[in-house]
Amino acid sequence: MDNNLVQIALQNVNMWAIMPSLILICFGMGLLLINVFLPRGTTKHAVWISLIGLVVTGLFVFKGWGDPQYGFNDAVALDNFAAFFNITFLVAAGLTILMSDEYLRREGYPVSEYYPLVLFTTAGAMWMASGTDMMTIFLGLEVMSVGLYVLAGFFRNQVRSNEAGLKYFLLGAFSTGFLLYGIALIYGVTGSTRLTEIGIYLNAHTSLLGNPMTLAGLVLIAIGFLFKIAVVPFHMWTPDVYEGAPTPITAFMSAGPKAAAFASFLRIMEYCFFSLKPEWTAMLWVLAVLTMVVGNVIAITQTNIKRMLAYSSIAHAGYALVGMVAANEIGYSGILFYMLAYAFMNIGAFAVLVLAGKKGEDNLTLEGFSGFGYKRPFLGVAMTIFLFSLMGLPPTAGFAGKFYIFAGAVKAGYLWLAVIGVLNSAVSLYYYLRVMVYMYFRDPLEDYAWVSMPVSVVVSIVIAIAGSLYLGIVPGFVMELAKLAVF
Amino acid sequence: MASIMFYLLSLILLTATLLCIFQRNPVHAVLYLVLGFFSLAIMFYLLGAPLVAAWEVIVYAGAIMVLFLFIIMMLGLAPQDRPEGPGWQRWLPFVILMAAVLACTLVIIALDPAATAQGEPYSLGPQDFGEALFGKYALAVQVVSFQLLFAAVGAYNLGRIQRGKGKP
Repeated sequence: MDNNLVQIALQNVNMWAIMPSLILICFGMGLLLINVFLPRGTTKHAVWISLIGLVVTGLFVFKGWGDPQYGFNDAVALDNFAAFFNITFLVAAGLTILMSDEYLRREGYPVSEYYPLVLFTTAGAMWMASGTDMMTIFLGLEVMSVGLYVLAGFFRNQVRSNEAGLKYFLLGAFSTGFLLYGIALIYGVTGSTRLTEIGIYLNAHTSLLGNPMTLAGLVLIAIGFLFKIAVVPFHMWTPDVYEGAPTPITAFMSAGPKAAAFASFLRIMEYCFFSLKPEWTAMLWVLAVLTMVVGNVIAITQTNIKRMLAYSSIAHAGYALVGMVAANEIGYSGILFYMLAYAFMNIGAFAVLVLAGKKGEDNLTLEGFSGFGYKRPFLGVAMTIFLFSLMGLPPTAGFAGKFYIFAGAVKAGYLWLAVIGVLNSAVSLYYYLRVMVYMYFRDPLEDYAWVSMPVSVVVSIVIAIAGSLYLGIVPGFVMELAKLAVF
Repeated sequence: MASIMFYLLSLILLTATLLCIFQRNPVHAVLYLVLGFFSLAIMFYLLGAPLVAAWEVIVYAGAIMVLFLFIIMMLGLAPQDRPEGPGWQRWLPFVILMAAVLACTLVIIALDPAATAQGEPYSLGPQDFGEALFGKYALAVQVVSFQLLFAAVGAYNLGRIQRGKGKP
């Protein structure tokens, strides 16, 4: 019997493949330990340490560009695709952390555990982007989601925040069930959880492609991700959760985790189900149109700006899906570009919302923005730039992103889809411009005690402006990187 | 024989899960869930995974259900008033289903006392499992352990009683 004993050793580990997330986790855990020794309510050190952690991780990701690392017997890959998305997550997390301190203090929750949770959530998003195994992707999704459930309900004494956390938790757990069921069915068909092995197996056994079990698995996996991306008809949670969650977390959710879900969705569809491409592009065509139309039309009727941005984020998920329907190089790299651009412009808009608050309460209604552009000239100009970018007007990042995505759709022969996308952008002009009309063409209702402008939030707004304009004026360089990043 | 038993057990599993959902008394619900786990364990055995079957009983029916019961009792969720009607009516479904599960177990033991013939082509032992867990899925194990830490931090934050403000 002794001869049968085998030594089980960790083989082909290659820690470099998960190094970005490891660095973030080390910083997060170190921060948790430091917090123990400091009095409650001190948060400045947490902001600095998490920012340093994000920068170190970013430098590491930059250094590893073009040098793909595979680890854990191909369960994880730090290739250019993952690296590009990692940068997007880091940008989203960094901007979020910069604007959080002021907001948490104002709402009476200066809790330093907030920052490690943001770092852990980002690490989960990184696992999703670099996972090349269903298990890695699923667990990354869970790490990310659990962090977000807590962060969405972080203001424990506010009913709206509680509602957001609980709603997101229940619906998120439900959708995770779909994803897991889909993974189980695909495992049952192919006998593997490795993405490449699944793809090769399905390609070699073409009789399995029409099998109901394969198709059911494909659809269930898609539903799991479409829920996280907030695609109609799986979008019901989005407005309530985005409205109830703390504003910086709403900003983070709309950029980082959405990009992460796109990353794994793209990778799974491209690695596993390339043999079924006509089927899933047809499915996504319908969903993309539905998402763009529903998101934009409902956003028109909103009077709460946070809720309006929630519906607009649904619409933007629809634009990005157009790139997946195109399923060619320009479409895919367009998604990567658009997610980065969206992180800058949307988080910037939310940062302005943080500073638009009155003392002690949020100021999120359209009425409350009357005369805002004259009272706070800097914030007014910043908001104008972000809204232009969200509309997709040149010379901003939103224009370049939409241009690439629709160009991919046209090149793939989906002319009508591109036309519908452009028409939807025209509809979105109405509700974005309305904010600007209130900001510049209405007299202020009364003289508010506006909150002061702390340096950290201003820095995050300036970075967001710089990102939105840079990606809009000289999109070529980043687009070349995005092209190198897709499969 | 195995397929008949499989469908019988599936039926029991579905019935037990439905009954679990519709119970007003949480303790009864937990008992039906235990019943479901038992029938699932035998199904795993029929599929040629005796190891998973044993875990199903030890981990789920044993450890996790004890945790459930513990929390139910700690929070005092069980209803105090006794419902109308004779007691045996409430227990009859449970007893019948449990008897069926036990009968299936006995049939398996009678047909195959040494537990050898079942699922020869797919036999999975502890060694295979360990190799898969720490070889192919080594990263998953580590991510799960990270995740437990994150969840603990989050739960602590949401459940903490604020100093000076009393209960949330």
